[in-house]
Amino acid sequence: MNENFSNQEKLKTDLLTINMGPQHPATHGVLRVEIKTDSEIVVQAIPHIGYLHRCFEKHAENLDYRGIIPFVDRMDYLAAMSMEWGYVLAVEKMLKTEIPLRAEYIRVLVCELQRIASHLMFFGTYLIDLGAFSPFLYAFQKREWILRLFEELSGARLLYNYIWIGGVWNDITDQQLKGIEKFCHEMDLEIAKYHKLVSGNSILINRLKNVGVMDQNLCFDYGLTGPILRAAGVKWDLRKNRPYSIYDKFNFEIPVGEGFKGTLGDCYDRYMVRMLEMEESLKIIRQCLEGIEAGDIQAKVAKNIKLPAGEIYSKSECPRGELGYHLISDGGKTPYRLKIKSSCFTHVSALPAVAAGQLIADFVATIGSIDIVLGEVDR
Amino acid sequence: MNDSFVTNGWPMFSTYTDSINKMIPEAKAIYELREVGDTPIDIEAESVHPVCQHLKTQFGFHVLEVITGCDYPDRIEVSYILANFTDNQEVILKTKLSRENPVVDSVSDIWSSANFQERECFDMLGVHFNNHPDPRRILCPDDWEGFPLRKDYKTQERYRHMIVNPESKMNIEDREFANKQKALEAKQKALEKTKADAMAEPKKVAEIVEDKKDDQGEKS
Repeated sequence: MNENFSNQEKLKTDLLTINMGPQHPATHGVLRVEIKTDSEIVVQAIPHIGYLHRCFEKHAENLDYRGIIPFVDRMDYLAAMSMEWGYVLAVEKMLKTEIPLRAEYIRVLVCELQRIASHLMFFGTYLIDLGAFSPFLYAFQKREWILRLFEELSGARLLYNYIWIGGVWNDITDQQLKGIEKFCHEMDLEIAKYHKLVSGNSILINRLKNVGVMDQNLCFDYGLTGPILRAAGVKWDLRKNRPYSIYDKFNFEIPVGEGFKGTLGDCYDRYMVRMLEMEESLKIIRQCLEGIEAGDIQAKVAKNIKLPAGEIYSKSECPRGELGYHLISDGGKTPYRLKIKSSCFTHVSALPAVAAGQLIADFVATIGSIDIVLGEVDR
Repeated sequence: MNDSFVTNGWPMFSTYTDSINKMIPEAKAIYELREVGDTPIDIEAESVHPVCQHLKTQFGFHVLEVITGCDYPDRIEVSYILANFTDNQEVILKTKLSRENPVVDSVSDIWSSANFQERECFDMLGVHFNNHPDPRRILCPDDWEGFPLRKDYKTQERYRHMIVNPESKMNIEDREFANKQKALEAKQKALEKTKADAMAEPKKVAEIVEDKKDDQGEKS
C-alpha cells in the first residue's frame, strides 16, 4: 500500500441513491424518480411510473363508444375537455359525421378555456415548486371562474363528459357568452399582472435561465411535443399545421421559444411559451365569440354506434402536448383496441436525458417545467 | 384536417413501399388502401429495424410517435407510427408476430422515444424486443403475472398475499349486465348469420327496419 495516501483519498465516495416521490409535493402526483447523487449533483435519474395505472385501454375494449368518454376524462383531469375532444374526433372521423357549426364553436371555446385553466394551474404550481406562493392564489382565482363556467355547462367541475359524439351535450347561453367576453377582458389585465409580478422578476430569471435545456434534436429524438417542442424553437402546432375542426378559420400566432433570457429551450422558455399561449387562446376565444351563430348542437348519430372495420390514428393539440388515439375497430359496438398516445408519458421518458449533471434543486425546476399530469402518464 | 392529409398522403404510400422494397427486398412492404381511416404499410417482422432506419434517413421521419400492440386470436400486430414534422408526413408501419413467441428487434437506438414505448408494449402484450437497453415492465409491478391487454388474460388471484379482486369490492351488478349484453350481442350475430344464410337480399330490408327502430328509440 502506498503510505502517501492522505485521509481524504481514503474517504468513501459512493453515489447516494435518493427516492424523490411518490409523495413528493414537487412531482405533481405519484411520480417516483430514483436519483443517484454525487453530493448535490444528479448523476442518474430513473423515473418509476405506474402508481396510477388503471388500464383504460382494457376498459375501453368492454365499453361502447359513448361509454368511453367519461373514462378518457380521467386521464388528464386538468384538461378533461381536450381529452374528450381528441377521442371524439377519432370516432367522428371513422363515422364521417358532420358536426353542426355551433357545436364546433362551442368545442373550440371550451377547449381554449380549458387550455387557459390548465396553463394557469401550471403557472401556480410551478411557482410553488420554485418557492413563490402568492402567484398560486392569483392563478386559482381565475381558474376558479373557468371551472364555475364548466360546472354551469356540464354539471361537473373537473370531469365533464360534455363533448359527445356528434356535438356537445348542452347548449351555451347568451349570458354565459357575455360572461366569457368579460372574463377575456379581465384575463388580459391579469396576464399583464403576472408578467409584471413574475416573468420579469430577476430571482425567477436567474433561477430558470439555462436550466434543463431541451433542444430541438432531443425533442425529436424523444418525440416531445406541445409547449416543450415550441420552446425549443420549432414552430409546430397541430392547430395550425394540421388544422382539425374549425381551427383554420381563426387568426392566431404560434409562440415559440427564442432564448428569451438564456439558452434556447431552457426552463424559462418553456414557462414563457405557456404564458404567451394563454394570450393566443384569448385571441381565439374572442374570434369565437364573434363568429358563433344560433343552430343545432348535436348531429344525428345512430343510437347504437358501430364503427366500420378499420383503424385510425387521430391527433389533437392538448395543453400538454399532442394526444393521439389509435383506434382499431372490427365493426362491432366496442373498439377492438384503443391505444392512447399520451404526451406526458413521452415527456417523462426524456427526464433521464436532461437530469444528468444537474443540481437537485434544478432537477425539481425541470420536472415542473415539463408540466406532467400523472393520470395521463399512467392512464 | 386529418382527412385531407390522408388524401394528400395517398400517392406517397407507393413511393414509401417502392423505396423500401428496392433497398430491403426481404421487407416485402405492401399496402392496401382503406376506405375509412388510415392505411398501414405491412412489413415483415425481421426487417423492422432496417426499414425504420431507412425511413428515417431517406424520408426524414425523425419522430417515433407511438408503438401500438394489438392482440388477435392468431397473431400479435405491432404498429409503429412515425412522423415527419418538417414535411408534415405521417406513416403507420405494421408487422405481424406469432402469438406464442412474439419477438422483434428494438428500434430504441434509432429513436430514444422507443425505449418507453417498447417497455409498455412488453408490459401489456408480452412482445419481446431484442437489444432493448432496459427490458423491464413499466406500468405493472415487476413480478406481475400475465399480460393484461391480451384477449385471453385472466387476473391472477393473489399478488404478494393480497387478493387481487376481492369479492367485497367487485361490482357484481355491472359484471352481470356486461355478460348479459355480450350474450345478447352473440345471439344477434348468430341470428343475422342465419338470416344471411337463408336469403341474401331480404337481409338488407331487415337491417333498414332495425336502423329505423334505432332512430325512433333516440327520439323517444
